[in-house]
Amino acid sequence: MQNDILSIFNESEGLNAKVFSLVRFKLLASLAALGQDGATYRELKAALDINDGVLFANLNVLKDMGYLTSGKITSEGKELELYTITPEGQDEWKRTRAWLCRFLRCGV
Amino acid sequence: MEENEGLAVPVPPLRSMTIEKYQKVIAFFKELGFEFDISRFDDRLIAQKLVCLLELKGIDLGYSCSLYVRGPYSPDLTQDLYAFPNEFAAPGTGSRLTPQEKETAGELGRIFGLKPVSLEVGATYGYYTLRQGSDPLEAVRQVKRLKPFYSEAQVALGVSKAKQFLFTPTEKDLEALKEETGIWQRASLTSREHREE
Repeated sequence: MQNDILSIFNESEGLNAKVFSLVRFKLLASLAALGQDGATYRELKAALDINDGVLFANLNVLKDMGYLTSGKITSEGKELELYTITPEGQDEWKRTRAWLCRFLRCGV
Repeated sequence: MEENEGLAVPVPPLRSMTIEKYQKVIAFFKELGFEFDISRFDDRLIAQKLVCLLELKGIDLGYSCSLYVRGPYSPDLTQDLYAFPNEFAAPGTGSRLTPQEKETAGELGRIFGLKPVSLEVGATYGYYTLRQGSDPLEAVRQVKRLKPFYSEAQVALGVSKAKQFLFTPTEKDLEALKEETGIWQRASLTSREHREE
């Protein structure tokens, strides 16, 4: 592994640039930790403090890229939308985190 | 093969530690009469919050809970729930609870039942007060911020149950309570005596 900045830039070519937004980082990081269990729309909205328009649009972008799936669940008699990260989403998040860590020289 | 004669089937240490860990949780589920079904969202929620409340109560189940978008939560528990769904669903466990653990399970069941909302609010309130050192008012404020979809009444009920389960009043607390309510009790008695005259 080389540590010069140009090789770090070169490594970024394998990443999906569309993931690089704060809202998408927050969503992927939150859902990656929950694995197959996922989180409901209302939980994401409250915990991440993101308004409906931005949240809905970004969840859909991540879904279209194949990183999230969604489905209806019932909790306490209420129908809710549950979002779950896919294995592809987990992989992309791992790759992005690893690259960010190299870029920011984590632990150096 | 000769050298293995008479030896038990070797179990890799990590796997045996995992089994030991989740069997304790299964024993608690059994004691609480909780029939876990991995396909039900509410069951997964109940499982998470029961474990976090027990951890907050000081029972080390090996599943540490931290704060996530869903409140106090253990990703390790999620992994095991999905890896061993049948074991969690049909609790025939090799692990037994100590009398003290049985007592705690009884208390947890009596106070919370298996109600997802109360368990979720209670575990979140407990996490803010015990793990993050928030004072009671701040903890309630944080619960409302993280769970704005629950009504005031649901939050109040969950918080009250958490206080009942997690906090044992000290002598000082009881004395302060006596002092605070004493005036009302005396007034009530005086009023009753007055009416009876």
